[in-house]
This record gives sequence, structure tokens and C-alpha cells, in this order.
Amino acid sequence: MLDLLTTGLHGWGPQLLSGTAMTIAVALSSFLLGLAFGAAAGAAKLSDSLVLRGLAELYTTAVRGVPELLVIYLLFFGGSGMIMAVAGIFGYGGLIELNAFSIGVAAVGLISGAYSTEVIRGAVKSVPYGQIEAARACGMGRWRILRRVLVPQTLRFALPGLGNVWQLTLKDTALISVTALAEIMRVAHTAAGSTRQSFLFYSVAALLYLALTTVSTTAFQQAERYASRGVRRA
Amino acid sequence: MDQHRIAIDPIASVDRDGPAHRHPPSNPAATVAVQADGIHKRFGSLEVLKGVSLTAREGDVVTLIGSSGSGKSTLLRCINMLEVPDEGRVTICGETIAMKTARGRTLPANSRQVDRIRTSLGMVFQSFNLWSHMTILENVIEAPVHVLGVPKGEAIDLARSLLDKVGILGKADCYPIQLSGGQQQRAAIARALAMQPKVMLFDEPTSALDPELVGEVLRVIRQLADEGRTMILVTHEMDFAREVSSKVVFLHQGRIEEEGAPDRVLTSPESDRVRQFLSRRLSAA
Repeated sequence: MLDLLTTGLHGWGPQLLSGTAMTIAVALSSFLLGLAFGAAAGAAKLSDSLVLRGLAELYTTAVRGVPELLVIYLLFFGGSGMIMAVAGIFGYGGLIELNAFSIGVAAVGLISGAYSTEVIRGAVKSVPYGQIEAARACGMGRWRILRRVLVPQTLRFALPGLGNVWQLTLKDTALISVTALAEIMRVAHTAAGSTRQSFLFYSVAALLYLALTTVSTTAFQQAERYASRGVRRA
Repeated sequence: MDQHRIAIDPIASVDRDGPAHRHPPSNPAATVAVQADGIHKRFGSLEVLKGVSLTAREGDVVTLIGSSGSGKSTLLRCINMLEVPDEGRVTICGETIAMKTARGRTLPANSRQVDRIRTSLGMVFQSFNLWSHMTILENVIEAPVHVLGVPKGEAIDLARSLLDKVGILGKADCYPIQLSGGQQQRAAIARALAMQPKVMLFDEPTSALDPELVGEVLRVIRQLADEGRTMILVTHEMDFAREVSSKVVFLHQGRIEEEGAPDRVLTSPESDRVRQFLSRRLSAA
């Protein structure tokens, strides 16, 4: 098996493996960043403040309304230009290059977060108010209610939707191959180009993505089962 | 008279220690546990409470009755600030809840004070509101451990004895969904008792239950009344109110229409409205 990987794929096995690790790293970081964006924007959408609600609405509408590739181009090519312009104001005229990994995570995280926002907002609204009220009546403060009651209960409603967002995020990482970051898609593209075995390498890439999504879907199913304890008992 | 009671409340005939069973009247020398003064509450343009005052002394069982929309549940919820009164003062065991006005709205001035006072007020809801992601035992130890800081082992011991007291120790490791409504409500009572509150508040504790499950919950509440606990109870169970209360308060359209000893208010009320309400209850059964 290991042999096949190192020699069978015209020697591209190790790169494909490290590309897979890179895809996992980008996808995980982006998804977690997206959860943070989603929780913040979801909370903003549920707040009383008109300004916060407006900002969150602007974020989800804008990010979901433009092609994902465009968001990546904007951050990757526009991002360093913007930072250099800001640095220029402070008298620094040198070239600033941003690391492809962090730009990629920021871009995909931004996209992932826009979708997580709606999932989280809907899930929070699904928690029956009596659950919160019972906690308030016992003298629990805001943070304790959030941690002990609201988050565990929200998770139960949010997990199916977040599973979807995770899968989208995982696939969106392929888009950042345009920044030359060596994830699965980029490695497959390079290998296909240099060996002229396009079908082989793109098929291997497809199988790698499929393996990742299958494993993570199972993991999400387990998590859903845990979060739904006390709801359905089969 | 006894026939009436059996007719309107099948539970009363099940386990009463005779018609003489009555809660002792309020002791005027006892310390005041709950004092609400001039409570006003508006929901939009609807004024639900129009200046209601209520006193419960230690050992009192005060029952709030009245038709739906009379404001009795709102009054109860104002006592622990689940509803914030627009005007008026609430004093629990001598401590008045500080209020402030911000942008035209009345709010508690200090949420920590409210949280602290709430730990001495055990609340039982109509729809139980047990936390669905926790087992019954976890529900009962949650607030003692995380709010009062009771060591977990100690909290579990207390929780087990309370669950035993309400008759559902065998369900300690079940999730709320696996219990009947009556069992869930008894678990909710155990959860409230686990905070060792000074006052218990019951908001229509049997209204969401199937008729055959009402008795088991009323038995637990009666037991608490017999132990001399201070309780304020909103209920539609008139015979139960007569037996456990030291005082009955009848609300009508946001005002107290009549209040006094249960036998007097429920047998020979002065107000025509109370009389009408009671006769409607009788004919409905």
C-alpha cells in the first residue's frame, strides 16, 4: 500500500498525502473560524441593537451573495494591497506578502461563517424559552445559562445544519488552490500537468475528498446522537 | 357539601385525613417572607396588574385564584422578577429588590442581587421546564452545584433524598422525556427544593397534567404545606386550595377582588364576582 503510494502514482504519493493533511488543516481552521464568526453574527442578529442586526445582515448577504472564488481573490490579491496601503500611511513602503495559508483560512472562514450564522441563529431560536426561564429562576447568571443550558441545547438543533456547513467548507478549500497553497486540488493539478495523467490524479483527488467527507459525516452523526440525548430514544 | 367536593375534585376523596384537614391560619406574629407592594405590570397597552399588594408570612400558604387573564400568574412571576413590574416594590425576607429606570423602562438595578434572591425562591412551572439534555439527577444537582457551590457528592445525596421524597428515586438516571407529566412535575419540585429555598412558588403546577396524574403532584405539594413551608401557589384546583391554604387571594382584572381565610372566601364570599367564579367552576365539573 505504502509502496503503491510512493512509486505507483509516479512518485506523487507523498505530496498527495501532505496535500490531504493541508486540506484538513485549512478546512478545520476555516470551519472553527467560521463558527466564531457565525456565533458572533448569529448573536448580533438576535440582539436588540439595530446597528448590530444591520451589520450581521450585511455580512451574510454580501458574503453569500458573491461567488466564493471572488471572496478568495479579494482577500488574496486585494488583502495585501490593502495592508500595504495602510502601512504606507504609517510610512512603510516595503512589500508585504501575506501567507497563503492564513489568507486561505480567513477567506474560507468568512464564507463558512456566513452560512453558520443562519444555522446558529435558527438553532438558538428553537430552544424553548422555558429552558432558559428555569435557569433564570434558579439564580443562574447570563454566562452560566449560556454555557450550561443554551449552548448544549442549541447544539442539538444546530448540528445537522453545521454538518452541512462543514462539508461545504471542506469542498471550498479546493478554491484556494488558486493561491498555490499545496492542498489536494493543487497537488493533483500539478501532478496531472507534469505527468499528463489528468484522469488518474483527478480521480485520486476525488477519492481523497470522498474519504474525508464520509469519515466526517459519520463523526457528525455520532455527535448528533450525543447532542440529542434526552430527546429521542430508539 | 362533601358531595360537592367529591364532584368537583376527585382527588380530594382519595387521600384526605378527613374533612377537618385544614392548613393553620396565617400567624400574624411570623416574619414576612414575601412582600409585594403596589405592583403594576403592563404588556403593551394592556395593564395586567393594576396595583396589587401581597404579603406572605413564614409558614403561610397563599393561594392565588381567579379566571385566566386575571393576572395571578403574572403576579407570581413578578415576585422572582421573571416579569419585571413597571411599578411597585418586591421585598423578599426583608431585602427589597432595587429597581432603576433606563430609557423609560423599569429594570432591576442589580442583576446579581436578583440572581441571589432567586436562589431563595424555588419556582415550579406549569410546563415543568426540566432541562431536557440532563438526567433527572443532573437536573436536581445543577443549580446547587453551579450556583450555590455545594460539593457534588453532597448535592447528589440531597438530590437522592429529595427524589425519594417525591417518589421518583428510581427515575434518577432517566431523561425528562422518559417520564410521565406527573413524574416530571415531581422532579421539577425536587429541583426547586434542592436549592433549599425559603419560599416555594408554584405557577399552575397541575394545569398541564392529565387528570389522572394531578393527584400525585398535589399530594407532594400538600406534604410540603404540612411541613410548614412558605408557599405561594397559583391554581385552579379549588378544593385543594381550600385544604392547603392559609390565605386565598382572588384576582379579577389585575386587582385583588377579595382575600381571606380559605373557608370564608371559598364558601361565603362577599364579592359577587367570586361567587360567580366559584359557581362556574362547580357547573363546569
